Amino acid sequence: MHSSSSSRFILLGRRLLRGLGVAITGLGLATLALPGLASEPWQRLEAAQSLLGDSEPHTQGLTLDLPHVSEDGSAVALTVSFDGELDEGDYIERVDLFANANPSPEIATFHLSPLSAKPEISTRVRLNETQEVIAIATSHQGERFATAREVRITVSGCLVRAGGEAPDALSNPRVSIASGLAAGEPAEVRTLINHPMETGLREDDDGDTLPRHIIERFSVSIEGDTVFEAELHQSISANPYLRFFLTPEQSGEAEFIWQDDSGETARHVAEIDLS
Amino acid sequence: MSHTELVVWAGLTIGLVFGATAQLSGFCLLRSLHHTQHSGDTRKLRAFALAMGVALLGSQALGASGMVSLEASIYTVPSLAWLALPLGGLLFGYGMALANGCGARALVLLGSGNLRSFVVLVCLGLAAYMVLSGVLAPLRLWLESFSLTLPAATLPQLLGLPGWLPALIIGGCLAAWAFSGREFRASPRDWIAGLVIGALVPASWYTTGVLGFDDFEPVRLASLTFVAPIGESLQYLMLSTGTRLGFAVSVVGGVLLGAVLMALLRRDFNLRSFDSPTHMLRSMVGGTLMGIGGVMSLGCSIGQGLSGFSTLSLASLIAVASIMLGARLGIHGPLALSKP
Repeated sequence: MHSSSSSRFILLGRRLLRGLGVAITGLGLATLALPGLASEPWQRLEAAQSLLGDSEPHTQGLTLDLPHVSEDGSAVALTVSFDGELDEGDYIERVDLFANANPSPEIATFHLSPLSAKPEISTRVRLNETQEVIAIATSHQGERFATAREVRITVSGCLVRAGGEAPDALSNPRVSIASGLAAGEPAEVRTLINHPMETGLREDDDGDTLPRHIIERFSVSIEGDTVFEAELHQSISANPYLRFFLTPEQSGEAEFIWQDDSGETARHVAEIDLS
Repeated sequence: MSHTELVVWAGLTIGLVFGATAQLSGFCLLRSLHHTQHSGDTRKLRAFALAMGVALLGSQALGASGMVSLEASIYTVPSLAWLALPLGGLLFGYGMALANGCGARALVLLGSGNLRSFVVLVCLGLAAYMVLSGVLAPLRLWLESFSLTLPAATLPQLLGLPGWLPALIIGGCLAAWAFSGREFRASPRDWIAGLVIGALVPASWYTTGVLGFDDFEPVRLASLTFVAPIGESLQYLMLSTGTRLGFAVSVVGGVLLGAVLMALLRRDFNLRSFDSPTHMLRSMVGGTLMGIGGVMSLGCSIGQGLSGFSTLSLASLIAVASIMLGARLGIHGPLALSKP
């Protein structure tokens, strides 16, 4: 009696083990077969996947710099930069940023030109929970680079400041261009403008949804030629901050234009003086 | 040097001066209350009062000159968490009595070789972040939801006066009381400590508000405080590759370093440890209570007692009173503690 019951247990154990083995093998195969279980973050995000199409991005060269932990998800400092290898004459033409767990994953798309070809861009973004931020860069000849970085968002330690009038949208545009410009040398440009960047998801004190109101487009042109452009989405923090590089070839007038979704624009003109 | 690097170096310098001065003079709110209570020696209390007066006068002068807008600090908000803030102050004050000193004091003592303070600091930093963003954060947010809007954020606003006038009166009274003691006047170590540590508060406002000013990437306005920054320093030790060094952490590092240097210079560096498990438990509970309470009251005996007080914010005045009350309960009252 005793021995038969113990052998039954052994049998049961073997059967369980075999079942487990089959299950593990099956799972492994499913991982290979199903893109839904793929390992890279950009393969798991539809918006990034539709941008990449069938192309397999390089995973070296593109860097995202974000804090590991942030106590304030409403303005997380982000820098994306590229130091990978490109063919002679090729340059990074486009950089896309995504936040995979935000209500709308697109953060921004930047369009660069040979006159803004040092690919290093900083901004501040909204992240509503712990998640991965994804960057995808595309070169002029179609080379693609991707990277991702996890950011942990915790509750804010700061009390929300009550009262105080918010400044007018599109007021007070500020532009700072690094001094000592030289032809063909990248020069740091920093821009800031007042804007609520209202997401359209927030409610006011009475429970009414605040309508979406964001800056959608920012562009820089030198003597009429567009050299840098940004498409911004609701995941960009209030009072959008953008830092990027221009490599002007000659002196001239640089025009900075911010356009919001109500059609209003703000304009700032700076003189670029190569000496 | 970028403005953020400048703020870090200035923070380190301010910390060094604080650490060295406090190591030399034994500047400590709790110790001052003990001395007053047990031996009638008010020199340490007068030093703290002088530091409060100097911090107040200096900060309000900075504000009046327009260089720093103290209204942008975390202390000067018109909303008052009427449950969390006084409760936090009481917990902090009582914890301070349990642990034999506040967070800043523990840093200075650790710099002098006191290993008990290491236990206090780890418990304090851990508890602070548990309450700030960890497992106890939902409880804190719930406690903070009991809030009311004050008619004004600061005492001068409430009275409709310019900030310098009440500052001159209150700061003048504090300094005058401090110097009215003959023993205090005869003890340069104490009055110099009061002057120097008080002056570090406006120096910190100047560092974050003027040196750290940048249109595009402003540094958050802050002054000396030691609860969240001790937690942040522990976090920085663990995550420095993914975080940025700021004013608060550089001050904490500076205080420790300043205390070590002064202790070595004075040949006052001695390793000390616990006498008994109960003693250790006291330090652990004290550190934990200070971490929890300090976050809830938005600052410690230095953060609210000097920095918050220097803005004359109404919330800070309440926090300072509750910290004093909590400490008093620990020293002398129904919850009084025996000497370990």
